[in-house]
Amino acid sequence: MKGYYREDYADRYLAVLFNEIASYGKGPYKTIYVGGGTPSVLNLRQTKTLLDVLAPMLEKGGEFTFEGNPESIDEEKAHFYAAYGVNRVSLGVESFSPRLLKLMGRHHTGDDVFKAVSALRKAGIDNLNLDIIYGLPGETMEELQSDIKTLLSFKVPHLSSYSLTVSPHTSFYNKGYEEPSGDASAAFYEELLSTLRQAGYQRYEVSNFAWPGFESRHNLVYWQDLPYVGVGIGAAGYLGGRHYQNTKSLTSYLSHGPEPVYEEEPSLQDKLEYYFLTNLRLAKGFALGDFATRFGFSFLDRYKEKYPKLVEEGLLEVGENGRVSCTDRGIMLLDRVLVALY
Amino acid sequence: MAFSKDKIRNFCIIAHIDHGKSTLADRILERTGTVEARLLKPQMLDSMDLERERGITIKLNAVSLTYKAKNGETYLFNLIDTPGHVDFSYEVSRSLSACEGALLVVDATQGVEAQTLANVYLAVEADLMVIPVINKIDLPSADINACKKEIEERIGIGCADACLVSAKTGQGVDGVLEKIVELVPPPSGKDEDPLRALVFDSHYDSYRGVVANIRVKDGKVKEGDTIYLMESKKSYLVTEVGVRTPDEVRTGELGVGEVGYLAASIKDIHDLFPGETITLDANRAKEPLPGFRKVSPMVYSGLYPSDSKDYENLKEALEKLSLNDASLSFTPENSKALGFGFRCGFLGLLHMDVIQERLEREYGLDLILTAPSVVYLVHLTDGTSKYISNPSDLPDPSKVSKIEEPYVRASLMTPKEYVGAVMELCEKRRGIYQDLVYFDDYRQEVKYLLPLSEIIYSFFDRLKSSTKGYASLDYEFDGYRESDLAKMDILLNGDTIDALSSIVYRPDAYRRGLKTVSKLKEIIPRQLFEVPVQAAINGKVIARADIKAVRKDVLAKCYGGDISRKKKLLEKQKEGKKRMKAVGSVEVPQEAFMSVLSSEEE
Repeated sequence: MKGYYREDYADRYLAVLFNEIASYGKGPYKTIYVGGGTPSVLNLRQTKTLLDVLAPMLEKGGEFTFEGNPESIDEEKAHFYAAYGVNRVSLGVESFSPRLLKLMGRHHTGDDVFKAVSALRKAGIDNLNLDIIYGLPGETMEELQSDIKTLLSFKVPHLSSYSLTVSPHTSFYNKGYEEPSGDASAAFYEELLSTLRQAGYQRYEVSNFAWPGFESRHNLVYWQDLPYVGVGIGAAGYLGGRHYQNTKSLTSYLSHGPEPVYEEEPSLQDKLEYYFLTNLRLAKGFALGDFATRFGFSFLDRYKEKYPKLVEEGLLEVGENGRVSCTDRGIMLLDRVLVALY
Repeated sequence: MAFSKDKIRNFCIIAHIDHGKSTLADRILERTGTVEARLLKPQMLDSMDLERERGITIKLNAVSLTYKAKNGETYLFNLIDTPGHVDFSYEVSRSLSACEGALLVVDATQGVEAQTLANVYLAVEADLMVIPVINKIDLPSADINACKKEIEERIGIGCADACLVSAKTGQGVDGVLEKIVELVPPPSGKDEDPLRALVFDSHYDSYRGVVANIRVKDGKVKEGDTIYLMESKKSYLVTEVGVRTPDEVRTGELGVGEVGYLAASIKDIHDLFPGETITLDANRAKEPLPGFRKVSPMVYSGLYPSDSKDYENLKEALEKLSLNDASLSFTPENSKALGFGFRCGFLGLLHMDVIQERLEREYGLDLILTAPSVVYLVHLTDGTSKYISNPSDLPDPSKVSKIEEPYVRASLMTPKEYVGAVMELCEKRRGIYQDLVYFDDYRQEVKYLLPLSEIIYSFFDRLKSSTKGYASLDYEFDGYRESDLAKMDILLNGDTIDALSSIVYRPDAYRRGLKTVSKLKEIIPRQLFEVPVQAAINGKVIARADIKAVRKDVLAKCYGGDISRKKKLLEKQKEGKKRMKAVGSVEVPQEAFMSVLSSEEE
């Protein structure tokens, strides 16, 4: 749901989306996540039709997250979400610095974040996530520290922080902005990590921090290499051991539906690569028992040529608790760990 | 069909790279109906894909064709190809001696180049009739008159009736064929004299052994004859004789003036170097044909398989390539850093590149090459001396009384406005000024003695860039001269890496060392720990750069749709890692081993 909002397109889009959702059955699902852009731009009537479809599909006690821009959430919308059982909201804060927000073309202010958080809490939705980005063009350590300070003042149970990535064909790319160097990004990240840890957050995934018990259950599905359904334009899903992706063209989505493209039947090697790529992002890594159940052989046997070196280098740990996980340094150098295991 | 001697014309085409030699050859094949137009691949005579791709001729080729001239007579033309690169000038001289005439192709937009000039001199020396052919006359920038004037003034060949052609469109090509009939003298040798046939190229064929391209100068040779090789001093029974049209046509014999191929179950190509004279065992000629020279490699490089398991495959591939390439030499060597490999000798860097590409492409090998080195002559304090081609073999300096290095006589042709730049380049490369020859109002020939080590790498590119591409280079070996040389070692993380050692000119060592360490710092990816890179001479560190430890290497966002993309990216990284060599505890990419050559003044 990226790009500009047009009410008539949104209506047509929802109609196709509902068909697609129906094609996967009635659920129930353990978690539902409405995101991948800014679903909060839908007007109330549209939000209602969407929630009418989704709310009944959630398992009792399930996690139901809405993603949104701070400026698009007011008390009315917050109450509405809550009434339909939405119990978690993720806000794209990005930064509190007016200079950096302007650079990103974002229209909210720090005040909007404050209003959105208050509105959601008033409606009874306390399980909130705030996203920030670091390594923005010209960003200083002081700016980041100030952002972190403000972020912490909200005392929300979940925080995510991402180093700026610049992909081709984005406005940042076209403006010639560059990603921060590995060293600059590392310095920012280390600052974040130590400050958030001091404040009582645990880094449970490369970019995600939470109070114990408040990890995103939905996102954990991705990182535990478990199946999920993805619906909507450009959505990705993972069913029957195969990843798929829907069309990225709006015209095509509206006229022909999602047209998911499945990847080839994954080989054992592919499956192993996916397993490591996802699970090792988690601070807790994976359990040797889970690995053995899934693949039918032992990690320690199969990787006996490879893992000891990573352990020796201080990147990987094989704990007495029967888990394999990256050390703090290993998480910082995860690509290296993965390439070594591949 | 047998042709009498006076109906035979043996000729070659001399041209600078890109002046259109191969295209003209294609047109001649087409016009004489030798190859049907529809079967004609561009640059027909360049049989290797590599030759076609690079537009260069590496292996020689010869083709026999018949031409019905305007006088009504039919002639046998033997077109003998010549290589067009400075690495292969001896091969050029051999193929020239197989001819009586040469077409001198000059690009009407470029004029005469030093390389052309060098080959024309060889042709004139070999007493060939040189016919000027001015090519690319269809291009708007062609300046035919200036080109004629250049040929006349510089080479001293009259251009009143020079052929004007466009090999691309075929315009004027018939005129060239008539000129060949009219001007190239028929072969002179005597039928009744003992056989003397010149080998100007050879290749290996798994069924017939070595197949030689020959030109019969005197007498004749036929299947069943026992031949005697006058240089190798070996006898063989001839199993097959024929001509190429360009497909092989078995004729059973070749007589005076004819050009063709000969097979005699010769197993080793080193018995049949270009320039060899074949005679009959029973009736040996008194003297071999003149001009034989044993070709020796000019540069040496260590070739190692990236994956040590490929050692045997590399050995086999080198053996196969050397079946066809007598100028490629290799001996096993062992490097602490790279394991088991081979020290290979090449005629020059182009030859080295070609071999490397063929090994990688045709044999699927993944190779590491060490920086090419020339052969040094090391005099020891005990009065003995030895040649070394691997810098890490240089004995301890306390045992060395002096070191000599090979020098070449270089001739650089340049428009006069760049003479200063060319001389500056030569001076920087330790050149010894010899002469400056004025050709005309535009161009001059600069002559220098230069250490071979200074020109094997990047000299040519440098020359081109400082003369806007106008200057050209030709060189030949001159001799050994004493130089102030020392071995420069490179240390990674404190360990000397033998494969990175090089021999440097001592007064330049500091700059070279600095350049090399900063280049290595740039090429070697950051490791888990800080890696100092040092250059040292006799154990004394002269330059240092530190590769900082890597801090962060992880994708920030990885949700549903990112997962498949990330997997592909990691697989690419994995491929990249395969091209790394673990040297001690440091992962070093292949190109690092060439970096000791990065002496460029930038």
